[in-house]
Amino acid sequence: MQAKGSAVLVAILAIPPATAQTCADFAGAAKVDSERYVLAYRTKPDKIAVGQHFSMDLAVCPKESQNTPESVRVDAYMPEHRHGMNYRATVKPADGGRYLAEGFMFHMPGRWEFIFEVRGGGKTDRVTRSVTLE
Amino acid sequence: MCNANFQSRITSHLVTLFRTMRQSLLAVFLVVACLPWHGVAQNPDGTLLDFTDAEVRAVLRHGPWPIPWSRDPSNRVSGQPDAIALGERLFFEPRLSADGTVSCATCHVPERSFTDGLRVGRGRQEVDRHTPTILNVRLNRWFGWDGAGDSLWAQSIRPMLDTRELAASEAHIGRLIRSDRDLACRYGRAFGVPPAANDDTIMVDAAKALAAFQETLVTGRTPFDDFRDALKRGDRGAASRYPEDAQRGLRIFVGKGRCSVCHFGPNFSNGEFEEIGIPHYLKAGGIDWGRAQGIKAVLANRFSLLRAYNDDPARASAVSSRHVELNLRNYGEFRIPSLRNVALTAPYMHNGHYATLSEVVRHYSEIDPLRLHLGPEIYDSDGVAIDLQLPTILKPLNLTEREIADVVAFLETLTDSDSRRPRRAPEAAACR
Repeated sequence: MQAKGSAVLVAILAIPPATAQTCADFAGAAKVDSERYVLAYRTKPDKIAVGQHFSMDLAVCPKESQNTPESVRVDAYMPEHRHGMNYRATVKPADGGRYLAEGFMFHMPGRWEFIFEVRGGGKTDRVTRSVTLE
Repeated sequence: MCNANFQSRITSHLVTLFRTMRQSLLAVFLVVACLPWHGVAQNPDGTLLDFTDAEVRAVLRHGPWPIPWSRDPSNRVSGQPDAIALGERLFFEPRLSADGTVSCATCHVPERSFTDGLRVGRGRQEVDRHTPTILNVRLNRWFGWDGAGDSLWAQSIRPMLDTRELAASEAHIGRLIRSDRDLACRYGRAFGVPPAANDDTIMVDAAKALAAFQETLVTGRTPFDDFRDALKRGDRGAASRYPEDAQRGLRIFVGKGRCSVCHFGPNFSNGEFEEIGIPHYLKAGGIDWGRAQGIKAVLANRFSLLRAYNDDPARASAVSSRHVELNLRNYGEFRIPSLRNVALTAPYMHNGHYATLSEVVRHYSEIDPLRLHLGPEIYDSDGVAIDLQLPTILKPLNLTEREIADVVAFLETLTDSDSRRPRRAPEAAACR
């Protein structure tokens, strides 16, 4: 178990931290600002279909002199229905300072909110972004 | 307006009749029997309601139908004819049960749309839930009312081992398939090797053959599909033949009834779970916690897609199982069923609580939000109930009697009449 934990740690350390340019260069991504970070994300596939799993490429770029993110969490919620997804999305570091979030499914048409939580420097930034499915 | 296969079959019958029997009157009778809408009352005045653009878009989301075939990557014999033949034979085989009296077809009766017409199913003993149809079951993401199965083949194992249903064991199934010459021969054809010595392997393979057969149980086109496609191509003439009461019911279904939020898409189900205020106490005592039990069961199941028997090396088929998690709201939820052929699958709900479609629609019309959500009540230090911010999807619709009848009329147009006449048993030819 210790060897596996070490491998994960090495993988995280080996990823170069995202810079503002990482988000600027993220082609086709939607951008959303929190107090200390810029988040750029793109779902796969681009068009989210009701009842179909999808994933998300995500970059979290610290604004000037802000801390590198220590953890990133993405969830989703349906405000009008007051429920979330039936699945827990997982976020893993990926190439180029990005993250890969997997396991999303919006199981109903209507307005959903992505909820992004970025923890760094002992504080958590929380920001939401709406998407409506027909 | 008959589907292509049916039309082709009827045409073939007609040619034969005209050439060999020349019984014109009978031929005319068959033509009449094949008129549009499969026996649903037509709309003689040709009225087409003034559907808004938003309503049309909502209606179009319920098609096209049928959905193209795609194989199940977790089942290496999905779609294979030899496996389908073996699965069909096993489906009707009572020797699969411990005492040789019960088969899959005991509860999933072909002439009853693969249900049994009973409030709750009965194998060797009565069970707690209604027998769901297995027509179109290949389109499910989760299987069983609580989703305790994450694949059709894993779900097919459950009733074989349940002591109230077939009450078999891995050893019993292994012994049967190894010792019966015909079954062993078919197993060899389907899997390319003779039945193994390992009972688990044989039982899982038998379940995969059963799944391959069940994947072929699909419903055909319905009056609703013809209406939907007419709307899609802007053919008002064809669309206006759809019964007017069904049009009104459809408008409620996609509009103020919000039924299509859950009964979404071509199969009229989003494949997930909901709590709708149906009594959840079991006859024998205790509570049926539905989806909450299902999530626990699937995560503990040694035959789930997360385990070794999944034939999909990439495990992409296991994404739902990998990410599903238990939430408070899952207590008392049950799977949202497809509504295709719903008029043929009474009684309704997970425990057969309602005998008719009218009762079901009335349930949603008069639903009491206070009956929803079975989670434990939580109180603050002053004894005041804390608002748990639980879901608020269902609200009373307060439908009139005519509106209830209209929704039922719409649901009846989701019937594929051809599926009333399925093959009853496998062909007799033995495997050599």
